[in-house]
Amino acid sequence: MSAESSFASFFAFIECFGIKLFLILVVRLLRGAPPVMPGPRNSSSGAPQYVWEYEYYDDGEPVSFEGLRAHRYSIVIGFWVGLAVFVIFMFFVLTLLTKTGAPHQENLDPCEKHHHCTSCTVDTNRPQDLESLTCPHPRQHESRSLIHCFLQEEEQGGAGLRSSKVMRDCSGFLLQEAQKGKRPEQDASVLTHFTIPNFVNSENSFTLGEDDLLLCEPPIILDNKSHLHSIHHTNS
Amino acid sequence: MGVAGKRSIASLQSPPSSRMINNTNANETDCKEVKIPSQIFFAIAMMTLGENLLVVVAVIRNRKLHSPMYCFICSLALFNTISSLSKTWENIMLAFTNTGHLDKRGESIRKVDDVTDSLLCMSFIGSIFSFVAIAVDRYITIFHALRYHNIMTMKRSLMILAFIWTFCGLSGVVMVMFFHTVVIITCLIVFFLVSLVLILFLYLHMFLLARHHAWKITALSGGATQQRSDLRGVLTLTILFGVFVACWSPFFLHLLIIMVCPQNPYCECYRSLFEVNLVFLMSHAVIDPAIYAFRSAELRRTFRKMFLCCISTPCHSLA
Repeated sequence: MSAESSFASFFAFIECFGIKLFLILVVRLLRGAPPVMPGPRNSSSGAPQYVWEYEYYDDGEPVSFEGLRAHRYSIVIGFWVGLAVFVIFMFFVLTLLTKTGAPHQENLDPCEKHHHCTSCTVDTNRPQDLESLTCPHPRQHESRSLIHCFLQEEEQGGAGLRSSKVMRDCSGFLLQEAQKGKRPEQDASVLTHFTIPNFVNSENSFTLGEDDLLLCEPPIILDNKSHLHSIHHTNS
Repeated sequence: MGVAGKRSIASLQSPPSSRMINNTNANETDCKEVKIPSQIFFAIAMMTLGENLLVVVAVIRNRKLHSPMYCFICSLALFNTISSLSKTWENIMLAFTNTGHLDKRGESIRKVDDVTDSLLCMSFIGSIFSFVAIAVDRYITIFHALRYHNIMTMKRSLMILAFIWTFCGLSGVVMVMFFHTVVIITCLIVFFLVSLVLILFLYLHMFLLARHHAWKITALSGGATQQRSDLRGVLTLTILFGVFVACWSPFFLHLLIIMVCPQNPYCECYRSLFEVNLVFLMSHAVIDPAIYAFRSAELRRTFRKMFLCCISTPCHSLA
């Protein structure tokens, strides 16, 4: 429950911060704090604030454009160039991140190597769980269809939370598809189907809500009748 | 926005040419305010309205989409809708004052303009809040997947949305009332920067986990190429963040500049591009549905059903 409490405290903090900010502003108003910007010289009763604004921009001497060393739009150009450089830099850093950091083969469970199971128990509080992929169901590699996998998991999973655990455990099916020696594009597409375990159960209908954050794949909606449809859709 | 960028009706009374009268020698080097034709604003607003209304209607009509994640997406779409409507209304009032049908100094006109400005402020802040909420929701989905339904219940997400809407409504009113103070502008800029950093951190962390999982799968499956999927992930993340930064930061830099260097000629030239920055800001509301809402296949399916429903006469429930 630590995550719950941390998020609850996070939201409470945001709320407190917002309320504090509001109170500060109200106090300023009540104290009649003068505005920090250059004030109005003569505010007519008709439309004071707009007259003030007008005078603010015309305050003092007019802006002189003589003797500019750099181009007059240098801030604009500098800003947009900086922004473009930042975005491209971020792109390249992310691309580099994807290319480096190969997994350590020796950390893999021998079970995984032989049976190619990937029941991922996602528990990020213990990072080493992410490293070690467990294989609790040795028979899983024999199942050739997602339906069988789901049925197996449903039997063994119990009445508790189903779908998210089911989907993660049944990722072995997708790996089997990858191992069947299909075309590389299909391999890649199979892998793209399973980049992020982003499976969210929603009451009766199981929907891959945000199918995944990074890739647009069709969600697998597990209705009672639509298993086959979704599987065909996934495999296509 | 009315007060900040001289876009309100009375801002027409503040002619930038007053400077040109005094600087007759520097006419050619003066930074004239770049005017964007109101047709462009109108077109952007209409597109925004159409797309986001579609998202809102789809989320409301399809019961499968009544989940916290889609609630946040719907809230984002609603904020975008409000911003487009208020910007359109402001443009219409400006057009009427230009042709002389409305009195610029009228009390009621000022009040209506204040209301429009506060709605705009509210929608901008609300959009940023919605981005942060969507990112946090996705983050919880990925990193606390097993406990997601305990952490993010429907009731809690509705409470969060109620808080966001209340806070944004109040902030909109407060900001329009006290926009000239440095505190408000500083708060806005700080709020934007904090949201930016938070969103970047959350998505980066999610991306790293996704990459980690992808590498694991590659290793298990014998080294099949998965660079294509990685590249797509990188591209998605870059587009998401890059569009956010590119659309929102020009406006906030403008706010920073009117606070920091009002008299500097370089800053003056940046300020003259206010309407261009506003166009960028509004175009983000057009791109938003493409980045967030339309990526979901369930939502796309709902749209398809809605369109087919419109075409064919018998219109059944979408749930």
